[in-house]
Amino acid sequence: MEYNKVTDEVVKKLVAICGEDNVTTSEPLRHSYMARGIMGLEAVLPEAVVRPANAEEVAKVLVVANENLSPVTPAAGGLSGGFALPAIEPGGILMDMTRMDKMEVDVENRVMIVEPGVKSGDAWRIFKTNYPEWAPPIPDGAPPAATVLGDAIERGFSLVTGVYGPQADMIMGLEIVLPNGEMFHTGSWALPGAKPFYRWGVGPNPDGLFLGSQGSMGIITKAAIKMVPHPHFKTVVAYGGETWDDIIVPAWEISKHEMGIGERTVMVQGGNYELVMTRWPKEKVPIDYEFYKKIGVDKKWMNYECWAWTQEELDFTLKGIDQVYKDYETKTQRLTPKQELHPKQVASRLKKPNKIAIPYALWQAGFLFITWYCPWLESPKMMEEYCAAMANHGFPETMWVASIDHARQAIVMPILCFDSTEEGIYDKIREFNLETTKSFLKKGWINYRPDPFVHAPETFTKTKEYYKMLVKFRKVLDPNLILHPGRLAIPWGSVTNLPNPYEE
Amino acid sequence: MTSLEELRRVNARCIHCRACQYAYSGEPDKEGETEEYTGMLQGCPAGIYYGWEGYFNSGKQWMTRAFLNGELPASRELLEIAEACTTCGMCETQCENYIDTVAITEALRAAVIEAGVEPLDKHKGFAVRVGDDGLRNPYNEPRAERTKWFAGKVDNKDAKVAYFVGCTAAYREQQIAEHTASIMDKLGIEYTVLTDEVCCGSPILRTGQRDVFRKVMEENKELYKDFDLVLFSCAGCYKTFRNDYPTMSGEPLPFKVRHAVEYVYDLVAEGKLKIEKPYSKKVTWHDPCHSIRHVGIAIEKEILENSENWLLDSRAGKKAKEKHFEIPRVVLNAIPGLELHEMYRIKGDSFCCGAGGGVKAQFPDFALSTAKERLKEAASTGSEVIMTSCPFCVTNFTHGIEALQKEEQETGADLSAAGSKLEVVELLELLDSLL
Repeated sequence: MEYNKVTDEVVKKLVAICGEDNVTTSEPLRHSYMARGIMGLEAVLPEAVVRPANAEEVAKVLVVANENLSPVTPAAGGLSGGFALPAIEPGGILMDMTRMDKMEVDVENRVMIVEPGVKSGDAWRIFKTNYPEWAPPIPDGAPPAATVLGDAIERGFSLVTGVYGPQADMIMGLEIVLPNGEMFHTGSWALPGAKPFYRWGVGPNPDGLFLGSQGSMGIITKAAIKMVPHPHFKTVVAYGGETWDDIIVPAWEISKHEMGIGERTVMVQGGNYELVMTRWPKEKVPIDYEFYKKIGVDKKWMNYECWAWTQEELDFTLKGIDQVYKDYETKTQRLTPKQELHPKQVASRLKKPNKIAIPYALWQAGFLFITWYCPWLESPKMMEEYCAAMANHGFPETMWVASIDHARQAIVMPILCFDSTEEGIYDKIREFNLETTKSFLKKGWINYRPDPFVHAPETFTKTKEYYKMLVKFRKVLDPNLILHPGRLAIPWGSVTNLPNPYEE
Repeated sequence: MTSLEELRRVNARCIHCRACQYAYSGEPDKEGETEEYTGMLQGCPAGIYYGWEGYFNSGKQWMTRAFLNGELPASRELLEIAEACTTCGMCETQCENYIDTVAITEALRAAVIEAGVEPLDKHKGFAVRVGDDGLRNPYNEPRAERTKWFAGKVDNKDAKVAYFVGCTAAYREQQIAEHTASIMDKLGIEYTVLTDEVCCGSPILRTGQRDVFRKVMEENKELYKDFDLVLFSCAGCYKTFRNDYPTMSGEPLPFKVRHAVEYVYDLVAEGKLKIEKPYSKKVTWHDPCHSIRHVGIAIEKEILENSENWLLDSRAGKKAKEKHFEIPRVVLNAIPGLELHEMYRIKGDSFCCGAGGGVKAQFPDFALSTAKERLKEAASTGSEVIMTSCPFCVTNFTHGIEALQKEEQETGADLSAAGSKLEVVELLELLDSLL
């Protein structure tokens, strides 16, 4: 696929659409959007950045891009790292959607409508002030500048994922601009004047095609998302263990208790002591486990964030959790001590949004989150293999795990802490990623946010029929393939040299 | 670490999370008095004014990385973006990766200039004038008149304490110098003012002109080396001596330094000074970035620098920083009758007045807009007075209020909610009247 450069003529057209103040080709400003870390490491410098004010401007920009055959990448919070950046040479147009930051809240129908630029911190502030009995489904652990829409359409994590599933499960309708500039709504929203009250709407619902990677099939300019009740009896309890099984098995017993205590454990997440250690500079923190043992950090642990309507309900839940652990200890003759959390630790874990995920760059100078899904009870095996691979490649064994939808699935996330100034480090990470990806795919585990350059091509090489179907849809929606490949590996040649499954 | 190359690994810690764009990014539950001021709030003056990512620290870190990696050449355009920052350090407070954001921005400016790009017009003028033997200040005022305001004995070699006046108080806000001197007289301090004092170098260092900076730094260090204590009334000069001289020279200062407000605080905290006269006004306090936030951050980082275990010592660092932020509050609360009504964004999360980092001279509209944003926040507290202790903050707020009053005259609108009726008071001026 050949693309054209963004010429002065194209820039003039963009200026005519968005205004002079909202279009730039400034080289320093284009570099200011770059990111290598958190979720992705590879990116191409955009040729122009535009800041549309609304869906109409988005549509007009896409028409211009189509006429000129320029690739387009939308981004707002940009926290998907390299994935929210251009991937196709020669870079094309980066659509900075931060100006589109309107939010509507419908308490009666329990839905909020957000534009791409609504940030978690802002949503939290507005809800706290105006709708204290409700919580916006913001990502837990993502920094405050992460966007609500970005997290939802990336099928990300919310603060109640343990019960409600991934954020995308809470979507009630989308407003989408297609690459040819056409706009449409999904769900009941498709009917003019109707509220986004019913996801499946007036016919077969295509919204899944647009979820998983903003801007790969079309650009989502609004999303209606369920908001959740915000009961104010909340706490966090944690239990330790020696092995991954010690934290995963009891969590499964608790979370599968649907319509019971599992309903009030809105967030179930855990990890290992390295998760504490690698938040500090490598040379300025003890690396021997004995130190962590002394300060009360178990080798592995699981946190349960509980929300309840009354203290009685909260106490009942905590008692239930404790009983599960007691039963586990009796049955297995293993120790899973309850951690004594300081009230400040509890408050810190209840804080949303928070900056808990940020400081892993302190260990050396950079980090990468790699995220996989697997059936909950298979996660110990995945984490053991991941930790062994991390040790083999010289990375600390920093591991995080969380329950999705009552421990139906596990999200397993190694945090790869590295020195981004080290020569050849990105090749080393790629090698690690390829090795683990190949192994995990064989076991039937899937990447949750596939890296376009490693996970996506490796996965689609194994899921040829599915990939062919995706390409067919994409060609209907985006015949000139101007949109960012996202996690779809379309166009294939922009992300990999592997044989293209579509052509086999 | 002073050069951009030395800061490469610090810059490499940036993951572009953008938490640095917000005041209270780690306190989303913080409750304010009004809907407008609650939770986390945008807190970067340049980002708010210009909008583009490159004007926020988060974007600057990635422009810096591209520059360091040879992907982005030195250019006037890059310098203009890098210079359009008040270096207030709000971003640095937010960074969980302890990135020295201001040091990196200043080092980027210097590296671009060292690569051959001319300093921006107004900034270049600072260095030329400070380097001029007949001036030695950025205001183009005669060097011979530097201590003209002072009625005491200059160049008193017997004194153990020196008052470093700074260019702004010496030439533009002389009442601050006079009040500071008067306070010292009233407190019985035997001190002197030196006629050979030259600009501390702050505006030159901030704007990336390091050769001239090093020259004035060495001159000042040599000049004051035999004093036990050097006192300051200017937040910028104080920060430059306290934080930048040791960093840039690689050597500790040969004398102690203290801001005059800190000196008064010491006496109040030790019970040696009791303020009897009342000041019955509603006051809001504006934390000068240089003497409050930057010094607080430096205190925290000094503790971490000497720590072998950040996990254990980071809390001590934060506590020491927070204690520093309390200094002006202790002094204000020691004044009978003074009703302190805090703004929402304070201490480490304080919003800048808009004048620092070379912005006031080179980007006056940006400076004025930022002052207005802060004045609006001050007015929201219902205070009559916005108090601070920095000649630059005083100047910029005064200009902000003048602009609001002019607008009122032109439009007939009542802009009191925007701060048009506020009175700007320098804390040292007040202390002088109360002691």
